[in-house]
Parts: sequence; C-alpha cells; structure tokens
Amino acid sequence: MTESSANKLLNGDACHRTSNGKKSSKNGFVKNHCLFQQPQKYRRPRERNQNVTHNSSLYKKPYVESFEETPLLVAVLTYMGYGILTIFGYLRDFLRHWNIEKCHVAREREEQKDFVPLYQDFENFYTRNLYMRIRDNWNRPICSVPGAKMDLVERVSHDYNWTFEHTGKVVKDVINMGSYNYLGFAENSGACADAALEATQKYGVGVASTRCEIGNLDIHEELEQLVARFLGVESSMAFGMGFATNSMNIPALTGKGCLILSDELNHASLVLGARLSGSTIRVFKHNNMQSLEKLLRDAIVHGQPRTHRPWKKILIVVEGIYSMEGSIVRLPEVIALKKRYKAYLYLDEAHSIGALGPNGRGVVDYFGLDPKDVDIMMGTFTKSFGAAGGYIGGKKELIDYLRRHSHSALYATSMSPPVAQQIITSMKIIMGEDGTTLGADRLRQLSENTTYFRRKLRDMGFIIYGNDDSPVVPMMLYMPAKIGAFGREMLKRNIGTVVVGFPATPIIESRARFCVSAAHTREMLDTALEAISEVGDLLQLKYSRREPSLPSLGWMSEESLLQD
Amino acid sequence: MQQRNQPEPNEGGVKEKNKEFPGELRQRRKMNVGVAHSEVNPNTRVMNSRGIWLTYLLLTVVLHVVLLSIPFFTVPLVWTLTNVIHNLVMYLFLHTVKGTPFETPDQGKARLLTHWEQMDYGVQFTSSRKFLTISPIVLYILASFYTKYDPTHFLINTSSLLSVLLPKLPQFHGVRIFGINKY
Repeated sequence: MTESSANKLLNGDACHRTSNGKKSSKNGFVKNHCLFQQPQKYRRPRERNQNVTHNSSLYKKPYVESFEETPLLVAVLTYMGYGILTIFGYLRDFLRHWNIEKCHVAREREEQKDFVPLYQDFENFYTRNLYMRIRDNWNRPICSVPGAKMDLVERVSHDYNWTFEHTGKVVKDVINMGSYNYLGFAENSGACADAALEATQKYGVGVASTRCEIGNLDIHEELEQLVARFLGVESSMAFGMGFATNSMNIPALTGKGCLILSDELNHASLVLGARLSGSTIRVFKHNNMQSLEKLLRDAIVHGQPRTHRPWKKILIVVEGIYSMEGSIVRLPEVIALKKRYKAYLYLDEAHSIGALGPNGRGVVDYFGLDPKDVDIMMGTFTKSFGAAGGYIGGKKELIDYLRRHSHSALYATSMSPPVAQQIITSMKIIMGEDGTTLGADRLRQLSENTTYFRRKLRDMGFIIYGNDDSPVVPMMLYMPAKIGAFGREMLKRNIGTVVVGFPATPIIESRARFCVSAAHTREMLDTALEAISEVGDLLQLKYSRREPSLPSLGWMSEESLLQD
Repeated sequence: MQQRNQPEPNEGGVKEKNKEFPGELRQRRKMNVGVAHSEVNPNTRVMNSRGIWLTYLLLTVVLHVVLLSIPFFTVPLVWTLTNVIHNLVMYLFLHTVKGTPFETPDQGKARLLTHWEQMDYGVQFTSSRKFLTISPIVLYILASFYTKYDPTHFLINTSSLLSVLLPKLPQFHGVRIFGINKY
C-alpha cells in the first residue's frame, strides 16, 4: 500500500479498498488488508537496519535503530567456544564423578543413591561448568550509594569462584556503568535526600498496612496526584514494588476470554502477570508491527479458540525501552494499530520514564503523542527517580477500579513514606516546579551523554544494539570467554559493568550492557570509553563492519561547544 | 515393546490439531527468571541461529580432512569412517542426550526429550530439521561413490545411515524402543 492510502485509513476513512482487491480465501485466512505491508523491496543482507520506516509520516523525528548482524566468522567461533567448553565440562564432570577432582556441588547422601534422584545433574551443567567459572562478574557487593561512582567490596576466591572471601579492603571510586541511574537521583545528599529525611522523621519508615486498610497516607495521595499531572493522565495509583505492579495488576485487568498480545522480549513481570491472569497469550516478534497486525487480524477474525466467540478484550503489552536490546517501541504505529482494531494498550515505561523525551515524560513525550491514547501507562520509580515502586496511570474509572480490585492494593503493604517523598521531590525537580533548572539540566545532560557515548562507541568499531536515543547501550561480546574477560578487565580498570550471556540472551548474542547516566561527567565517560577501547583491542571486540559515520557540520559545532 | 512417550496434549507448540491458529506459535507463558526474553526453552532455537549450519558443515569437513591425513587409511576407508563417525556423533548429540544443560522455567517438560524432539517445540518439517535430515544422506551418497559401492562398505554405511535417519521420522517422535533411554 502506498503511504497516502495508509494515511487515509488512519483518518478513519471507511474505504476498505486493498491494493490488489483479493478476497479472503477459503480457509478463512484474511489477507492483504494490512495497514503495514511487508516491505517488498530487497533488503541488504548485512544489517537488519530498521531506520527505513514505511509509515514515516507517523514519526516526527527520524527513528534510527540498528541491530547489526553477527559476522559469520564470529558466530562460528562462538559455537566452537561453546563446544570446547561443553567438552571440558564433560571431562570435569567425569573427574568429579570418579573423585579425581573435588566436587563442590550439592550431592545426595550415600544411602539415598538408589532412590529417585534429588538433583538433576544435567540441568546444572551450565551452572557448574560455565557460570561458576565467571561468577565473580555478578553479585558484587556495593558499599556506597550507586551513583556515578561507587565503592565495591573486594573479594577473592581461592577455589575458582566456588566460595568468596572478603579481603576487608574496599575498591574505591569505581565508575558505575551498570546502575539504572538515568537522571542521577541515586545520591545521599541534596534536596531529595533532605526531604526524605524529613519524611522519615515525620512518618517513620514503615507503613504497617495495606492501601485498603490503614496504609493510605496523605503523602500517597499527593504522590498520585503529582504522577497524574506529570504523565498527563486523569488519575494514577502508586504501588510499593515495580515488579508487583505488573504482576498484580494485569490479572485485575484481564481474565479468561481475553487476549494478551505481548512482545517477544517483554520483562518477566509482564509475563508473570499475563500468566496469572489466565488470558490467552500470543507473542509477536520484537517491535515488528507486521507481526502484531497479523496477530490482531487473525485474533479478531477467528475469535476465541474452539468456540470462535469474540474476545472480551484484546490487550497489547509493550515496553517503552527494552533493557536488553536498547530498542524503543514503535509507539506511533502501535497506537495506529490499536485504534484501527479497537484493542487496548498497556505500556510499561520502566526504563523510559524520566529518561526519554524533551521534558522527561517518557516515550509518549519522546514521540510527541497524546497520553490519552495509551489506555494504561505503567512505569517504575526505580530507575530515573532513584526510589522504589511502580505506578499505573490512566482514566479515572480505570484507576478507581484498580484501587478496589488490584491485588497489590488489597494485600501488599503500601509504599514507604521516605520513598514516596523521594519520588515527589525528584519528580518536582524534573518538572521544574522546585524553582531551579536542575531537572532540565539533568535531562539535557542525559541526552547529550547518550548521544556522545553511543556515537563514540560506534566510531570505535563496536557493535551496539538499539535506538540512537536510548540510554541503555548493549555492546556485543558474542563469545563465552569474552564475557568473563570483559567483566574482569573492566574491573581492573576501575569500571563496573554488567555482562549477560546465554541462556539469558540468545546463544550467540552475549553482551555487556552500559547504562548512561546524567550523573556521568564528560571526563568519566571519556575514561570509560578509553578503557573500553583498550579492552576492546585486547579482546578483539571491535566487530563492526560499518564505516564510522562522518561528522556532519551540525555535530562539529555542537561538539566544539560541548568539549571542554 | 515400544513405549510411547507422548508429550502432554497442551504442551507448548503447534500440533496438527491446533491448525486453526495460523500465525504465531502458541506457547504457554511461563515465569522466566533471570532471562531477557520470553522464550521458555532456548534449546529449541539453537539450530536456527545464525551460522550454526555452517559450523556443522565445517566440523564435518575438518573431521574428514583429519581422517584423510592419517597415512595408512585408504580413501574408501576414510569416507566410510567419516560417515560412521559423523552419524555416531549426530546420534549421540541429537538423539541420546536428553533435557537441557540449564534450568528451564517449563517445570521439566523437556527433561525427557532429546534435542531433536525439542527442536522448534516439536514442530515437524522446519528448515533445520530438513537440513539435518538431508546432510547425512548427502554424506552417504558421497561415501557410496568414493567406496566404489563395495558390499562391505555399503552394509556399514547403510546401517549407519538408517540408525541416524529413523529417529528423525515424525512417527518416532518420543518413541523409546524397549524402554532404552526413557528416563
């Protein structure tokens, strides 16, 4: 379909002419009336570069997202790596079995060896033989506030990571590239901390009840009104835990006979909430609007399984920023689809609230859309606000319904007062209502840091996933040994990073994930980038086969203004 | 004594009777702890990943070249050995080893399934399955040619090929003959 006809449909035109006038075929498969056609043109095999939007009239600014494909040689070497590790794993298991090597894994007692086995040996294979060897990259104890720099407890292991000992020393001033500290509110001094201190002295720390009973404080009401104003919705409700917000509220919203269409890479809380609700769940390919549209059409045409009755509700569940890929949801297209097919939209802005958009109001602000188009706006206070908890915003009837029916409101303790006060103060700072320009400064700093960091990493030759504007930067490592090596080398250079491998990611796509923060100064980023480049040369991580982008004139002037 | 080890009827995956859902695979959603995707069993996607077919072909070629380098093996012997060792290793990894080397959130549904049965959640005739069925056949044809259709070699090659082709048939999905390898 051409763009003009797509526009006509978006304007609510009742014309249903298709590009080729095909009718539905005999088995009920409805074809070719889609809003977003599969692109027929030849796609360059090198990259899945998605910066060609077929409905670019919906986007007010260029949407540049790239997921460069794994080079074939690297993929082959990665499989070889896993193969060698597997062979050595079998060898080590053999040695442990015959007591040549000391066995640290839990074992059954001798008397129980003839019973049904208690421990599945094979299911622990990766944990024993791969994860244990590089375990020192995770669960590092932090002994300061996780701001732009943090202190780590030094640990050593004398038996290859099976046990750790604390040496008693502290590694000071490690640059923190892993905390979700997008606006730098993770601090123990300043306006937020003082306000939280006052709130502790006024209310105490614990609430000792649920929202429905005696746990509804006036600070909660103030918080909820502020959040509603911040998001631009009619009303909102705050919960004590971000994970629980998703998992306890989706069951209250949908049930049996409803359909949930969720993205491939949705967070575990959304998956759990969807599963607890008892609805039918269908998964569409990550950020792929053709896949989503196909699912919508098939669902509406065929109805519920077996009975073919119409669905009671169709809920599309997407996230603002996907934290493992760094990609931003194609919100204008999702909203266009939802309006056309009369579905509901649940947007989880855990990472994008406060981090995207010119005013920090999230992905809706970033695309310049109307918040009233999103039926349920969910988010967390953990990332950009430096607090804990989650919220849901939407129409007043919806939130009133949730106040009575949400499991979290009925059974979970409400948010702690100092945490609520921290959110109120930080939100007011972001909105600029505290009288200073601190919020606007931080938002600008975050967006500059993001652009600078991403551009520098790409120019160095690393493969970076995700949207150019997202502060989550996954950098590909691919090979299993490099996961451990990268984490350790970065720590040697005093930089703390988060690395992820299989099975949390697809088998060849292990990565290191950086989270850029507004608290990072240009010097810190430069130090980090230098170290990353050094480690990248040491470990040969510069896989990208794209030419580094030439700086345009606009960049030159901005960069000369920003640098020093 | 053939014992059927049928997976439960509503296990994740599109079975033939659920053909009324054209479109995405219908999966039972699970609580995925510590992972960044909603894939319940990552083992199902390994054979579809980028570069794995090439790796498999390269490994076979390397095996063949190594065998060819042994001075006192004749060419027909080397080809038969390649064929037999390839089929043996394929049988071991695809049809003997069961379950996953990591914990999956599906409460052990795949614990009794071999890797071949886990591929694509049991959907038959996907491209990986077709590729892995055709490659031993191609190797067999090459081996037959290079052994000049000698009867002994023919017998060995054919029985080896059958041992690796029979478990791949859809009728043998979940079948454990004489209870071998059942648990």
